[in-house]
Amino acid sequence: MLEFLERIGWFVGLVLVQVLVLSHVHIYGYATPFLYIFFVLSLNSGIDRNILLIWAFAIGLTVDIFCNTPGMHTAAITLVAFLRQPILKGVVIKEVEEEFEPCISTMGFFPYLKYTLLCTLIFCSVVEMIDTFSFFDLKELGLKIITDTLITLVCIFCVEAVFRRDKSEERF
Amino acid sequence: MRNLLDFLIKYKHWLLFIFLEVISFVLLFRFNGYQGSVFFTSANVVTGKVYQMTNNLTGYFHLKTINSDLVQHNAELSIQLEHLKEAYKKLTADTTVIEQMKQEALMDCRLIKANVINNSTIHANNFITIDKGEADGVQKEMGVVSGSGIVGIVYQTSAHYAVIIPVLNSKSSISCKIRRSDYFGFLKWEGGSPEFAYIKDMPRHSIFEVGDTIVTSGHSAIFPSGVLVGTVDDVGDSNDGLSYSIRVKLFTDFARLNEVRVIERSNIEEQLELEESVVNKER
Repeated sequence: MLEFLERIGWFVGLVLVQVLVLSHVHIYGYATPFLYIFFVLSLNSGIDRNILLIWAFAIGLTVDIFCNTPGMHTAAITLVAFLRQPILKGVVIKEVEEEFEPCISTMGFFPYLKYTLLCTLIFCSVVEMIDTFSFFDLKELGLKIITDTLITLVCIFCVEAVFRRDKSEERF
Repeated sequence: MRNLLDFLIKYKHWLLFIFLEVISFVLLFRFNGYQGSVFFTSANVVTGKVYQMTNNLTGYFHLKTINSDLVQHNAELSIQLEHLKEAYKKLTADTTVIEQMKQEALMDCRLIKANVINNSTIHANNFITIDKGEADGVQKEMGVVSGSGIVGIVYQTSAHYAVIIPVLNSKSSISCKIRRSDYFGFLKWEGGSPEFAYIKDMPRHSIFEVGDTIVTSGHSAIFPSGVLVGTVDDVGDSNDGLSYSIRVKLFTDFARLNEVRVIERSNIEEQLELEESVVNKER
C-alpha cells in the first residue's frame, strides 16, 4: 500500500514538473528534457509487463492531455515500457535472479547508463518523429533527437543522484 | 482451441501493447482530424485549473516588459489620434459624420478579453489555451488577436477554457493582403522560427516591396479586414515557380503572449449562410 502511494506521488510529481517546467525548456529551439520517463525506467524489474504497460500508458496520456498532443507521448512511452524488459535483460550481464529497482547502486554505473541511454533514445526518436511528421527534415530531426536524449539523460542522472542516494545509504 | 487460448495467455502482453498503441494512434490522428474532443486537450477542467494556477504566479514575471510595451503603444496611439483628429477636422466640419463613422467601424465586432494560460512555440503543431470559454461567449472559429497583431483562431471550447490554433501551426491558414496594394494570399507557417510565416501564393503581377505591412483581408468571416499581421521580410519564388513566396515577419511575439482578445462578430452568420448556399448550389 505504502509503495503504491509512493508510486502515485512520483507519478503526480513527475507529470507536474514535466508539463509546468520541462516542456517549456527549449535550449536554442532544441533540447527538451523528458524527465517523466524516469517513472517507467525506475519501476521494479519484477513488475508484471501488463501492469508496466498500463502505468506507462497512463502517464503518457496525462502528459499528452496537458501538452495538447494526444497520442504522441502515449505511443512513445508505451513502446519504451514494452521494450524495457528485453533491454534490462540484455544490459545486466550476470544472472540476477531476485527483483531489483533499476538504479546505479543495484546495476552498476555502466549497465545503468546503457539501459537509460537506450530507453531514452528510443523514446526521443519516436516522439520527435511523430512531432515533426508534417515538416520532415532529416538533419533537424537528428539534431533534436540527440539533444533531447542528452538533456533527458542528464536530468535522469540528477534525479537519480539526489533521490536514490538516500535509499542506498539507508540500506547500509 | 486450447492451443489458441494458451497462445493468447502466453503473449497477452503483446496483445495489450498493440491495443494501447492502437489507442494512442487513434488519438493522434483523430485529434489532428479536426473532430477532436475537448476532453483530451488542455481545455478540460483539471488541466485548465492547473495551468491557470501557475499562470497566476508566472504572469507577474512578464509584467515589466508588458508594461513598457503598453506605454509605448499608448504613446504611439495618442500621437496617431492627434493626427487623425486634425485630419478629420480638415476633411469635415460636420461632427455627426465622424460619430457615424466611429460607430460603423466597431458595429459588428465585440472584443472578449482573455489570458493565455498555456502556450508553446516549438512543435510543428502548436496550441494556445486561454481562460475564457463558451460561458464568456467564446465560440469555435472566432478570431484571436493580441495588442500587437494577429494570434490565431479558436479551435476547441469548453465551458471556461478554449484552445486556439495560432499562426504557428501547420494547419493554420489565414487570408491576408498587402495593405498598400490589396493583393491577397494565404498566410501559412512552415515550422522553424516562431518569428516568421510565409505567403506562398502571391501572384506574379502583384505590387509590393520589402517592408510593406500585411493585414488580414477580411475575406474570411473570422477576422475583420485590416488586423495587423506583419511586414514583408524577404521575397522568393514559390515551389512551382508560378507565384511569389513572401516571408512575413510577424508583429506578434508568440513566445511572450499573455493577454489576448477574442473577436466576436455579430453578422458572421449571414455571411456564412450566403457563402454556404452558393457552395451548395454549385454542387
